[in-house]
Amino acid sequence: MKHTWAMAIDLDRCTGCGACVVACSAENNVPTVGEVEAGKSRLMQWIRVNRYWEGEFPEAQAIYLPIPCMQCERAPCELVCPVYATYHNEDGLNAMVYNRCIGTRYCANNCPYSVRAFNWYDYKWEKPLDEQLSPDLTVRSRGVMEKCTFCIQRIRRAKETAAEEGREIRDGEVVPACVQTCPPGAMLFGDLADPHSEITRKLKDPRRFRLMEHLGTEPRVVYLKRQKGAGR
Amino acid sequence: MSTVIVGLFEGVETAARGARALQGLSLPAGSVTTISAVPLPDGAVVTDPAPVRFPKIVIAGWFVGAAAGLALTLATYMLYPLVTGGKTIVSVPPTLIITYEVAMLGALLATLFAGGREMGLLRFPPKAIHDPRIHDGKIALCARVEGDEQARLAMDAMKDAGGTDVRPEEGEL
Amino acid sequence: MSAEAPRVDDHHLAHTDEAAMFERLSRSNLVTTWKWYLGVAVSGAVLLWGLIVFLYMAMVGMGVTGYNRPVFWGLYEASLVFWIGLSHSGTLISAILRLTHATWRAPVLRGAEAMTAFTLMVGGLIPIIHLGRNWRVYYALPYPSSRELWPNMRSPLMWDAMAITTYLIGSLTFLYVGMIPDLALLRDKSAGWRRKFYSALSLGFRGTHAQWRRYHVTSTLFAILIIPVAVSVHSIVSWDFAMAKVPGWHSTIFAPYFVVGAIFSGIAGVVIVMAILRKAFRLESVLTPLHFDNLGKLLCTMTLLWGYFYFTEFLTVWYNRNPEEWEVFSSYAGPYLPLFLTMIVCNFIIPFPMLCLKRVRRSVSLILVPACSIVTGMYAERLLIVIPSLARRNDPFIWANYFPTWVEFSVMAGAAAMFVLLYMLFAKFFPIMAISDIKERLFHTTDRTIGGTTVESIAQVEGEGEAHA
Repeated sequence: MKHTWAMAIDLDRCTGCGACVVACSAENNVPTVGEVEAGKSRLMQWIRVNRYWEGEFPEAQAIYLPIPCMQCERAPCELVCPVYATYHNEDGLNAMVYNRCIGTRYCANNCPYSVRAFNWYDYKWEKPLDEQLSPDLTVRSRGVMEKCTFCIQRIRRAKETAAEEGREIRDGEVVPACVQTCPPGAMLFGDLADPHSEITRKLKDPRRFRLMEHLGTEPRVVYLKRQKGAGR
Repeated sequence: MSTVIVGLFEGVETAARGARALQGLSLPAGSVTTISAVPLPDGAVVTDPAPVRFPKIVIAGWFVGAAAGLALTLATYMLYPLVTGGKTIVSVPPTLIITYEVAMLGALLATLFAGGREMGLLRFPPKAIHDPRIHDGKIALCARVEGDEQARLAMDAMKDAGGTDVRPEEGEL
Repeated sequence: MSAEAPRVDDHHLAHTDEAAMFERLSRSNLVTTWKWYLGVAVSGAVLLWGLIVFLYMAMVGMGVTGYNRPVFWGLYEASLVFWIGLSHSGTLISAILRLTHATWRAPVLRGAEAMTAFTLMVGGLIPIIHLGRNWRVYYALPYPSSRELWPNMRSPLMWDAMAITTYLIGSLTFLYVGMIPDLALLRDKSAGWRRKFYSALSLGFRGTHAQWRRYHVTSTLFAILIIPVAVSVHSIVSWDFAMAKVPGWHSTIFAPYFVVGAIFSGIAGVVIVMAILRKAFRLESVLTPLHFDNLGKLLCTMTLLWGYFYFTEFLTVWYNRNPEEWEVFSSYAGPYLPLFLTMIVCNFIIPFPMLCLKRVRRSVSLILVPACSIVTGMYAERLLIVIPSLARRNDPFIWANYFPTWVEFSVMAGAAAMFVLLYMLFAKFFPIMAISDIKERLFHTTDRTIGGTTVESIAQVEGEGEAHA
């Protein structure tokens, strides 16, 4: 069965806590670069929480916008790679093949959401932190590009389990690390190809919008707009 | 290897006089030529009987290059049908660009090789007729002759026209 | 050069003392001064330093540069555009002037063609230098392998690789074929290892009538073929940017704008190189103020054309105020103001009025001011194209500025040193003046008396370099 994986992020619920960032880094062997490198704008995080301010102090309000890879249907990053290191896989996901990457960084330039992270160095995990590295995926070497995969290793595992048990993947069986962790439950992941999945129902919400829709990238990450009013 | 009569001339007019005198010997076409440090207009001293046809090879080279470029892109589409950016596998503009570049490369290489071949480059005969004094402004008039009688007549004709250091040489013209 | 009037009854190929002229024109090959050794030593040292720093960068990672997210491209890529732009000098001078029978071209063309070849070699290296995994560059070659890798022909970087390869091969052969008669001359004039060297390189060219005719056709064909290649190369370099979904890059005007800018900086580069050659190899008698005057006129035209293109590009964004693009242009007044001012002042405000003056154009030392200013201004322009667009990406949350570190500066200084070194070695071992072309021009020139004055008259050979099918 063909899947159309998608993510919904309810901005009404997002508190900007950043737990998704931590969970993602732990799950995907994303290095922490430290204060100095972060100051040079070289965070490796696959998902970042944008914070915008609305209004002036003391009326100022923060708006949080978690940005993972949008897994665009018409991904601008894929076209420009000279070596097919990034392409569209059979699930319609925007896949990244680390071993093919030669590091032109053109894909990152062409990403309007700037979600791609480049390995500026060979990052090290000091003992005992190396014990926590996930064996499900590689540690990337210097000079390659990486980005959010919708936790493709979890999708693969769910597919294998379902195949072993001779059934289809159940709704809610695949949960990326960020979605699993999100304390207020602002994030939801599922298969749009399944008409009865929770995400299919959720995305009928009139609050839905996609980021920078005018660029025609057709992102697979859909946001639910934050509403104004008392208590929000 | 053939016998070539070589004579040095001071200027274009005297060399032309020598060439006219050689015409009386009715030597086969293409056996009289000049060696000079500066290109002389065709007909100034001798006329080149062979037409220059190799630009046709350049056009052929362009098409060979275009075919190679087209094959390269089409092979990519067939062998690696990877979807990128939600676009079709086969797309025309990149095909045109790659085809154009490889076609121009083909034409440039064809010019190099055809031009080099036509100029008779990269052929190093054991003895090529040459006279370094052309670089002092002299024109070397050369005539390929058959037999002693013809050689004598040609040498006389060149000497009468004002040629200096007229001598027979053995070598390729 | 003063030409001795030929006798009316005979046209001599020798206009002056040929031996003396040869000595004068081949000074670069014949005399080696301590300055040459010093130049080679200095540029070699800088190149070595650049190489060491490059290896350091490759071993440690791109983190030693100033790059960040979102500015993934910076000084390297701007330098790529700059060097490829400089390479358009030789094509313009040689090919266009050859096709239009501009008779003053002879002393300029060899130096300009050599500049094309060597700037391209430097420019062609930068796409490899800038890679995150330079040691895997062969992944981009289309050859069947067990890795099942194949390049993506849809990527503008592949178009770039193709175009630069074609242009490099084309301009090297153009340079080489144009040099064959001069190599034959050097072969006949030299002895020892040099004689063997030039014998091999001149490929047995002797200067027979048939060879000269075909030589002319060949060089004309090269001139015809190299012009569209040159235009396509810089268009494709611009498309590396214009194809991207980046505000400020995604523009239809980029291809012609880049081509104009390339020719602009290319001519300025030729002026500088010619002035240096003239001084270093005492070529004052060949490279006359006339040549600098003509190059200055071309440069003046290109200044206006560049100004026009820049204004057009700016106007559309300014009027439209598309917020994404306007943020990029606004940053020109912010952190990128020094670059912007350098560009405007050096590319237009200084050179345009200066180049309008005949006194400047005809003075070799004065014309260096606009020429150097244009090369500086064009470098600033390339940086201004590459960096602010990335620094002001669509998402304001990740905006970040970029400043190169010592690593980028060292590697690019090494690249510049590589150009200087290649050029110096070329000038030492190869004829830097197109001696045969200069002789041919002299052969076609006579002094014609009109009334009380004597003017130069040049015989034009009908159908010169044309093929007769």
